[in-house]
Amino acid sequence: MVMLFIQECKKIVGAIPYWLFVAAMLLALFSQGVFHFVGEPLQEPEPGGHYGTKQEENPAIIMPAAFSRLWSEFCANDYTTYPIGIVKHIKLSSNKQDKMAEIFSELTGISKDEVLQRRQETAVASHDSGDAAFQIGENSMQQQEDGSFTIASEKSENRTSKENLTIRDDMNYVDFRRLMQQADDLLGGGSDYAAKNLISYGTVPLTYEEAKERYELAVNKDHITSGYARLFADYAGVMVLSILPVFLAVVLCMKDRRSKMQALIYTKRASSAKIILIRYLALLATVMLPVIMFSYLSNIPIWSAYKGITLDYLAPLTYAFDWLLPSVMISTAVGMFLTELTGTPAAVAVQSLWWLLDTNMGIQSVQAGYGLFRLAPRHNAGAKSYFRTQDYLDHWENLIQNRLLLVGLSLLLIVCTILIYEKKRKGFLGENKFFQKAFFRIRDRSH
Amino acid sequence: MNHCIEIKNLNQFYGKKQALRDVNLSISQGMFGLLGRNGAGKTTLMKTLAALLPTKKGEITVCGVSIQNVAEIRQMIGYLPQDFSMYPSMNVGEVLEYLAILSGLTKDQRKERIEMLLKKVNLFDHRHKKVKALSGGMKRRLGIAQALLHDPKVLIVDEPTAGLDPEERVRFRNLLAELAENKIVLLSTHIVGDIEAACEKIAIIHEGSVLYHGTVEALLQRAEGRVFTMTIPKHELAQMKDRFSITSMHSQGNEVYIRFIADTLVSGANVCGPNIEDAYMLYLHASGAQDILSEHEAGGAW
Repeated sequence: MVMLFIQECKKIVGAIPYWLFVAAMLLALFSQGVFHFVGEPLQEPEPGGHYGTKQEENPAIIMPAAFSRLWSEFCANDYTTYPIGIVKHIKLSSNKQDKMAEIFSELTGISKDEVLQRRQETAVASHDSGDAAFQIGENSMQQQEDGSFTIASEKSENRTSKENLTIRDDMNYVDFRRLMQQADDLLGGGSDYAAKNLISYGTVPLTYEEAKERYELAVNKDHITSGYARLFADYAGVMVLSILPVFLAVVLCMKDRRSKMQALIYTKRASSAKIILIRYLALLATVMLPVIMFSYLSNIPIWSAYKGITLDYLAPLTYAFDWLLPSVMISTAVGMFLTELTGTPAAVAVQSLWWLLDTNMGIQSVQAGYGLFRLAPRHNAGAKSYFRTQDYLDHWENLIQNRLLLVGLSLLLIVCTILIYEKKRKGFLGENKFFQKAFFRIRDRSH
Repeated sequence: MNHCIEIKNLNQFYGKKQALRDVNLSISQGMFGLLGRNGAGKTTLMKTLAALLPTKKGEITVCGVSIQNVAEIRQMIGYLPQDFSMYPSMNVGEVLEYLAILSGLTKDQRKERIEMLLKKVNLFDHRHKKVKALSGGMKRRLGIAQALLHDPKVLIVDEPTAGLDPEERVRFRNLLAELAENKIVLLSTHIVGDIEAACEKIAIIHEGSVLYHGTVEALLQRAEGRVFTMTIPKHELAQMKDRFSITSMHSQGNEVYIRFIADTLVSGANVCGPNIEDAYMLYLHASGAQDILSEHEAGGAW
C-alpha cells in the first residue's frame, strides 16, 4: 500500500501539470496579499475612533432602506437579483407591475391607482432632471466595512422627499417582511427583498464596546493566528482548491489511457478499490502539501507582530484540514469520477461550472457565505473582516455541516469511481465510447 | 492442479455483431498458436482469456478456475496486448517496479524478479533508459517482462512480433519458446512464420470460428499431396490463377515459378512437401474464404 502510494505521488509530482498547479496557486494567493498580512495588524480599539460597521436586524433601519430601494427599482422597472448567484436584471410584465403596485399600496396605505400615479410622476421628474448626468457630491461617498463604497445620490434624496412616499405608520416588521417576500417572489427570488436577505439593509456603525468585544474574541478565541488562517483558507478555497485539483485528477486518470497502459494495469492483481483509493489519497496528499506550506508561509510572518498574546501555532494546519481539505476532496473526486465514467476531460467543464456558480453566490451575507451547499465557504467580506470571530462562531455549525456534506459526497463519488473502474477492467462500459463520441461532438461543435 | 485452458461453446458479441462463434479449445502446457487474419477474432479471444471482456455465452476455465473468478484469474495470467506502451517519462526499472507493486510482489520479490527478468529479456543494461527512448523490439521485450513479473502460469501474447524487424522477431520467438517450457504460452499472430518456428499446437480462426485445432504436424499431413510447384511462361500465369490457389510465386526471366494448391496432380507440376502457410491457405480455401486467397495471390498482405 505504502509503496503504491509513493509511486502514485511520484507520478503526480513528476508531471508538468502539477507544477503548473503549484505555480497557479502561488500566483492566485499572492494576488490576494495572503503573504503580506503583517502589513495589517489588528489593533486594540481606542475610545473615540471609527470602528467600522455591522449588519443588524433593526426594523427602524431596514424598513425605510429596503422600501426606498424597492420604490426606486419599481419606478425604473429594473430590478437586480441573484437567482443562481449570477446577477440578473428583471423587468416585470404589466400584470406583475400591477401586483407590485398592490404591495406598495399595502406598504403605504394609499390606493393602487395612486401608487401608479406617483410612479408616473417620479418617472417624469427623473427624466426632466436628467438622470443620465450623474455627479458625486462632496462627502457623498463612504467606504463600508466590507470594502465597498456607498454613494449617496442627492437627486434621489430630493426626489424621495418631494414625493413624500413613506411606509404607513401602523406597518409592523412581520407584515413588512411578508410583503417584501412577496416582492421577491414576484421577481423570481434571489433579491435582497427576500426575508432572509433583508438584514443586508441593516448596516449600522459599531460601537466602541462592540469593537472591543470583537478584539477580545479575536485574541481569546482565534488566538490571532486563526483569523489570519481563516482569511488564507477563504482565498485559497475560492480561488484555487475548489477548481484546480480537478485538472490534476483528470490528468492522472487519463494518463493510463494516453500511455496505452490500461490493459497492463487492468490485468494486474491489485484490486480496483486499492488502485482508486490510493490514487485519490496521493492526489489529496500532493495537493495539500503545498497548501499547508503556503498557509504557514502566510501565517508565520505575523507571529512576531503579536508579542505577549498566546497564539495558536497549529491554526494554519487546522484550517487546511477543516476548511480546505473537503473542497480539495470534492474537486478531486468529481475529476476522478467523471474521467473514469466518460474517458474524457468533461470533469473540468462540470467543476468549472459549479465553481463559477459558487463564486458568483459571493458573500452578500454571512449566511450566504456559510451556506450548506457552498463549494468554497466564504467568511471575509473585506478588510480586517477575518477578525469577525463571532460571525465564525455563530456559523460554525453551518460550516461543519457543509464540510461534512462535501466529504460524504466525495467519498460517495470515490465508491462509484471504484465500481466504474472495476466494470471497465472487466470490459463493460464499452471503453467509454458513448461518452467520448458525445464529448468530442460537443467540442467540435463549439469550435 | 489441472494445467490447461478449457474453452467450451464460447460466443462473444460486440453489440449485435458476433465476434466468436461456438469456440471450443483445449490448450495445455507449451506454446499454442492462434492463427488468423486481422479481424478474425483472435484479440477478442485473448482479451476474454485475460478477463478483460465479459463472457457472453459459454464456459472458460484456466487451470481449473472459472473465468468468472476474475481476482484469481488475474493472479494466474500474464498478458501482453497487441497495442500497448508505458508511461514514457519512467525508465525501464521504474515502470517494472510500479507494475510489480500492482502485481502484489514484496520488496525482496520485486528486486529479485525485476533483475532476473531484465536479464532474461536482455534489457538489464538499459534499465535506466526512459521508456520513450526504447525501440519497438525493446518495448516488446519490456512488455514480456512486465507480463512475467508475478510468474504467471499462463502467458497471453497478442501479435507480439508485429512491426519487429527480422532479427528482433527471431529473438522474441526464441524467448517465448523458452518460457513455454513450464507455462502455457498462448501466442496470437497473423504471421505464419511465427507459428511455424515456435508452436507445436495451433488453432486457425476465421470470422470468429475455429477452422482447425490440433498439432502442426497433423495440419501439414492434411495438406500432403495437394501442394505443387511448377515453372510456367509468364503469359500462362493469369490462367493458372483462375484455376488454382497460388500460395507463392517468383519470376525467373520470362518464366514464373509458382507454388499452388490443387485437389489432384496437375500435368507438368511436381508434388512438394507442404508448409504451414500452404496448409493454412488450404483450410481457408476449404472454408470458402476466397477473398483471402485472391488477396494473397495478388501479393496483398493478409
